[in-house]
Amino acid sequence: MIDISGLVNLMIAEQVNIPLLYPIIYNFVLKIPVIGNIVAFLLGIPIIRYLIAFILWKPIFILLIIPGFGTLGTMLLVLPWLERKLVGRMQWRVGPREIAPRTRGSIQLLADSLRFLCQEVIIHKEAHKPYFLQFPFLYFLPVLLPLLFINAGTIGRTLVPIESEYALQLMIALISLMPVFILGVGWSSNNRFAFIGTVREAFMYFAYEIPFIIAILAMVILYGTSNTVGVVSAQTSWWNWGIILNPLAALTFFVAAVMATARLPFEIPEADQELAFGPFIEYSGIAFGLAYVMAYEKMYVLSAIMTMLFLGAGSGPAIPYVTPLLGDLYYAILFVIKTLIILLVMVNLRGVYPRYRLDQGLRIGWGAMLTLGLIAVAWSIVLGVVL
Amino acid sequence: MKKVGTPEYNLQDKLKYHLSALSTAAKQVALPLNITTHYPRERRRWPDCFRGYILFDPERCISCFQCSFICPANAIWMKEAPSNRYYPTLDYGKCIFCHFCVDSCPGGALKPTKIHDVAYRTMEEMLTLTEEMVEPPEIIREDKVFVDYVIDTEDLSLKRTKGRDNLIVEIAPSQGVPMVSQCVDRASCIACKVCEKVCESGAVSSIKDEERLIVKMAIDAEKCTGCGLCVKECSMQILRLVRK
Ligand code: SF4
Ligand code: SF4
Repeated sequence: MIDISGLVNLMIAEQVNIPLLYPIIYNFVLKIPVIGNIVAFLLGIPIIRYLIAFILWKPIFILLIIPGFGTLGTMLLVLPWLERKLVGRMQWRVGPREIAPRTRGSIQLLADSLRFLCQEVIIHKEAHKPYFLQFPFLYFLPVLLPLLFINAGTIGRTLVPIESEYALQLMIALISLMPVFILGVGWSSNNRFAFIGTVREAFMYFAYEIPFIIAILAMVILYGTSNTVGVVSAQTSWWNWGIILNPLAALTFFVAAVMATARLPFEIPEADQELAFGPFIEYSGIAFGLAYVMAYEKMYVLSAIMTMLFLGAGSGPAIPYVTPLLGDLYYAILFVIKTLIILLVMVNLRGVYPRYRLDQGLRIGWGAMLTLGLIAVAWSIVLGVVL
Repeated sequence: MKKVGTPEYNLQDKLKYHLSALSTAAKQVALPLNITTHYPRERRRWPDCFRGYILFDPERCISCFQCSFICPANAIWMKEAPSNRYYPTLDYGKCIFCHFCVDSCPGGALKPTKIHDVAYRTMEEMLTLTEEMVEPPEIIREDKVFVDYVIDTEDLSLKRTKGRDNLIVEIAPSQGVPMVSQCVDRASCIACKVCEKVCESGAVSSIKDEERLIVKMAIDAEKCTGCGLCVKECSMQILRLVRK
């Protein structure tokens, strides 16, 4: 028998602390003529109150709103648009603005997603139907589960859904699962381009996975903990952020993240021009939409991990008046802003670099990055001894 | 044999090039240059030699068929007008905008324009009749600015000027080289009189030589416009166009 009242008490005790929220509701929202009445009525229903308490319960709030699914969803809408606009600026092709010129065409993304939703999903004869349909959806699990361990707070204000001694290891394990699903997607598509893309993905997988793990290992050695709460509290202020203490690990992690998400200098498995989206070539409609956003989700999760490991998560200068009012939310917003900056750099690399060949990509992964990662580990050990 | 290898860069060079590429990108994000124009609100000002929609001036046409002969896409078909003269019609479904017709027209009856945005609803509409070629087509102009591409020493930049670019080019019709038709082998003439029939300007006449009972063709160099119709039609292929 579940102890309901105990759970409710726990929820009430661990609410996210947003001082601004209740004054806004009571002084502002409830005073708007019609909406105020509706809100007052809704607040009167007991179940809604519990629902709000549930959503404001720290782990759930972090997981659902910021930096969890809500933020992720917004990013998915905003990021491709920002990517297009910024790459357009880099490449001197700030084109004519025909769709919603005032908002610089931002609703184009909505139109795109609507198209994905309405298109027919074609399953060709040769495909292994069950796997072909399942894998894009299953892929969501390893992509989204790392969010459970992300700490978006700062010292003294932990914003983490699940605190665990093995958080970083679990994250690595989940992230390492992702390519398995891509391989599955490519195999079940039963198409020659998908096969080539899949094989390339498998090659790249080994090339980036080891430097990636080594970079995280370097940080675990440096902070002396793999608990995300410990990792964040070790970075007391900007001069001992991970990126300052161990820039090589940061660089290795970043390049490995770019490889893992198959962004442009390492867009080897997807290679639009030769493989036409590689493993995902046979997908259409909503399934293609999923494959398309999955790359961005993966990028978001990896950038969030990078923010947490190297950029001090949500730490930042407190702004008078704003910080006390926003409370926990302020740090979460800082975290999202840092993540967005990393994301933008990652995404806009395609405006700068052409694609590497497979052999070049492998050489970079097994050569330069592995070396960098090992040096980073050595540096961490040295720092650990000295400090 | 000389083998071209990949350039050798050391670590320092590589870092330098990576940094310069990334900083260029960052600079462009902040203050982008651009090379695209916001058509239709802006139009690029094309040079006068732009090969666009073709206008036709019936006053200048001598019905020489040169345009339809030369058209590589076979887009120009001659059509008989009520005045019994033949004028070109132009099928934009076939035209490749090479403007050979404009160049070859001896009378300067075909005129180039800078219009490049005409839309048709059906394929049949694309066959532009002679009378439709006289006036420029109706186009909706939304542009208030025209753009010039300026190439200075190192970069390409856009210069925007308020106003509307005139799409109809004002160029003097080509004078061409005055040509005249001449018979190069009188002995072979069989007096079929094709040239006489075909000549638009009545420059060819036949003279009956009563004594020897033969017919001789004569070309009046003054009247001949050098259109070359008789040259093409001559059954013995003995006529040539020569400079006047
Ligand atoms: S080439 Fe010029 S003159 Fe000759 S038929 Fe064509 S339009 Fe008329
Ligand atoms: S522009 Fe070229 S293709 Fe078009 S009608 Fe003239 S000769 Fe023919």
